[in-house]
Amino acid sequence: MSKKVAVNIISASKIYAPKKIEDLEEKRIVPKMIIRRRLTRNAKIMLYIADKCAFTNGKIVYASAFGELQSTVGITDAILNKTQISPTLFQNSVYNSAPSYFSLLNEDKDEIITISSGKNSSLDALKTAALQALISNEKVLCVATECLDINKIQEINNCTNYLEAGAGVVLKIAQDESGAVDIEDLQEEGLIDSLLDLVKVVKMWERGSTKIFINL
Amino acid sequence: MKAFINGYESSSCVGNTKELMESIYKQQTGITIDTSYMPESPVGLGKMKYNDFFESLNSIVLKVLDSSNLENFNDTLLIVGSSVGGMKESEEHYFKDKNYKNIDASRHAISVISDSLEKEFNFCDNRSISTACTSSANALLLAKRLINVGAYKNILVVGADTLCYTTVCGFYALSVLSSKVCTPFNENREGMNVAEGIGVLLVQDEQMNNSIELVGVGASSDAYHMTNPDPEAKGAMTSMLNALRDAKIDAKDIDYVNAHGTGTMANDAVEGLGVEKLFKDVYISSTKAITGHTLGAAGAIEAIISCEIIKQSNIPAQTNLTDPQNKNINIPRKNIKQAVKYVISNSFAFGGNNVSIIFGGLN
Repeated sequence: MSKKVAVNIISASKIYAPKKIEDLEEKRIVPKMIIRRRLTRNAKIMLYIADKCAFTNGKIVYASAFGELQSTVGITDAILNKTQISPTLFQNSVYNSAPSYFSLLNEDKDEIITISSGKNSSLDALKTAALQALISNEKVLCVATECLDINKIQEINNCTNYLEAGAGVVLKIAQDESGAVDIEDLQEEGLIDSLLDLVKVVKMWERGSTKIFINL
Repeated sequence: MKAFINGYESSSCVGNTKELMESIYKQQTGITIDTSYMPESPVGLGKMKYNDFFESLNSIVLKVLDSSNLENFNDTLLIVGSSVGGMKESEEHYFKDKNYKNIDASRHAISVISDSLEKEFNFCDNRSISTACTSSANALLLAKRLINVGAYKNILVVGADTLCYTTVCGFYALSVLSSKVCTPFNENREGMNVAEGIGVLLVQDEQMNNSIELVGVGASSDAYHMTNPDPEAKGAMTSMLNALRDAKIDAKDIDYVNAHGTGTMANDAVEGLGVEKLFKDVYISSTKAITGHTLGAAGAIEAIISCEIIKQSNIPAQTNLTDPQNKNINIPRKNIKQAVKYVISNSFAFGGNNVSIIFGGLN
């Protein structure tokens, strides 16, 4: 048993790079340097995606399978080397850092939920975003990012050719189901599985499919 | 559809749910002063007793299944809330090997908990939430909404977090750890006690004899600071107000506030202020002087405590309260035996993530 709902995809965006995404338009999106310097890479990508989706306020469902790996590595290295842990690194290490920075920068006081369901992270984020849209009848930002660009990542990475990636959509519950289609199996070679389902939806939107079914 | 909590079990530094409630009412803490993480800096920690955390988790979930009306979990959605997932295991490999070669990425992630439970119990679907210290409170929030819209009949909510170096040393770096048992709401409180714990609740659309209703859920973001709460308590008040609105009850209907009450200077001052502004004479206490702060598991464990308080008609005293900072809130110094219809439980997290949940008795 589950429940299928039809959602309209209002806007969508995706970006990925083999190592570091070069132009996230950080200076334009976050003019204050003091805040910009504190942002994690996930936060910068998330802010970029939100900007491209023209989303400034409302409910957010964010997803990441591995969260703030760079901050986590910084903390474990400090523990291993018996050096002081940076408080900023620790506050940035939680999985909900990226959408929290969005909330701070945009004074968005609405609900934020962070999904971390491994390979299914972006699919579960879509399900959760559809639920949030259904109970509120508001538009919801569903966004997923992964930043795996840490030293010696090759020792453990066997899942992606893109060390930085992000994708997002703004969705709203559709008034009716006419013309709604299931998520198509549009593959993206080398992309991390945790982002794949959201990227499929972005690709569908780019091809003109703006109404999709999501199983809650 | 209404959402009912029809079964639960927990494990924390004071033992199972029965032992937890006995400890709360007797004000017997499970916190121990520990130097294993930081030999030169003793801190109060809440350590569970287990050989294998995942085996312990399986046995608790099995207990909830055995006490339910279900034969298995094949028609049940699993929602897990955790803030560290498999971090403890990754740390062990990394500190020993000084490289990542023996770390299994899938066992590092938050989803290691749902993956492990899925293998054992074969749920119809699962998802994992990680919003730091509100993780399992958000899992309950989603469970209620999914039941309300008729998407699922049975949802198992699991909050689970282990102690690890990253959280103990990280909170120490923020200067918010207490070197003794924490003293929530006291004027001269020192800080919090990091702890580990597991809380498991079965949420269903069907009312049973012993059900507690999941009456209302609310959430908000502070949009103020990454770690410090909004000093005017606007975010905390919004999440409590949203829960009251969802429950369709007034603030005066609440009998008890199960506070987030970590024992840090910032949290307790702001939460106390929010409760002072919203409620009149409601009882409020924190159970974290007994269990410590179980991080992502706290929402689920304190949901279980809230259900037990309603069932036992007994509002717990604030352990370790000597000199309350906020004199305008009603913090009980002894257990109050009275009928309890509604309890609101707060969970607040890094990033200004706030969740409030209202539980209601049915008798």
